[in-house]
Amino acid sequence: MSGRVIVITSGKGGVGKTTASANIGVALASTGVSVALVDMDIGLRNLDILMGLENRVVYNLVDVVEERCKLRQALVKDKKLPNLSLLPAAQTRDKSAVNAEQMKALCGELKSMYDFVLVDSPAGIEQGFQNAVAGADEAIVITTPEMSAVRDADRIIGLLEARKDEIKEYRLVLNRYRPTMVANNDMMSVDDVLEILSVKLLGVVPEDEDIIISTNKGEPISGTDNIRAGLAYRNIARRIRGEDVAIMDLESKNSTWINKIVSFFNPTVRV
Amino acid sequence: MQIFNWLFPAKTDDVRSTAKDRMRSMLTHDRLELPAGRLETLEEELMAVVGRYFELDKDTTHFDLQQYERRASLIANFRLLRSKC
Repeated sequence: MSGRVIVITSGKGGVGKTTASANIGVALASTGVSVALVDMDIGLRNLDILMGLENRVVYNLVDVVEERCKLRQALVKDKKLPNLSLLPAAQTRDKSAVNAEQMKALCGELKSMYDFVLVDSPAGIEQGFQNAVAGADEAIVITTPEMSAVRDADRIIGLLEARKDEIKEYRLVLNRYRPTMVANNDMMSVDDVLEILSVKLLGVVPEDEDIIISTNKGEPISGTDNIRAGLAYRNIARRIRGEDVAIMDLESKNSTWINKIVSFFNPTVRV
Repeated sequence: MQIFNWLFPAKTDDVRSTAKDRMRSMLTHDRLELPAGRLETLEEELMAVVGRYFELDKDTTHFDLQQYERRASLIANFRLLRSKC
């Protein structure tokens, strides 16, 4: 088997990389393929919490690289999906604990075992990022429609472009999208961001309080029905698998009764 | 109708296009590693060179960096009035 290694990266911290990794992992695994999630944020481990697996972590990525255990021993199986596993980061070490060559070898081994290997990159463009992209065939760039996040995403795209030989494709996920603010001309739209970055779109995830609730429960939202952010992640997973899925209509949720009344009297105003 | 306009005033300042314009200019400079002010210096120097050959209409001269597919193009448009030679 030779799977696809996809690095999930953003440059800026706090835009939702780890949440996206967990959700895309769950959504992909739910389609039936086997998935390994790799937490590359060594020293700042978080993916285990989002997956609700923090109590099952015995070994970690650095243990594997330093040969204190076998790769299979370090992989933690998901509670619900037997075809989804997590390779946790070490919590007590730092980014210099592994190097790019070791990561390449590790990703090589993982993609012989799984259909998809999702690597959750740390923030920044230093060694942690370089390690995370080292074994990747593709990349997903996460950003929010804020100026600083878009600027950092552009920097990351520049660095990915420079690795064109290894990273064949990169696509953008626009996270924490707020359609009402865009409609009010208070925020850049999906098209604005795509035009500025000249990048292909993989998906748009609306801002959703349910994300915080799902994090607190340790159950990624993409496994839950009837939540828009969850549907957005399931659509992303289908697009990764090559399906042609339309970007969902994010405006419709704002057609609340108050909005309709106000629009009736003054079509230029939205609340 | 009036009361609704008063309760929910229509926005006049377009933050979205301000953000987009700032973003575009910032990324153009970032990608070229172009320090602030360099473009203005270039503009002055180019104007001086072209100005040695032609009388220019400085009000309509247009100087801009545009992006296409992550590559920048320098667009300079000199409105010429007459030759100086």
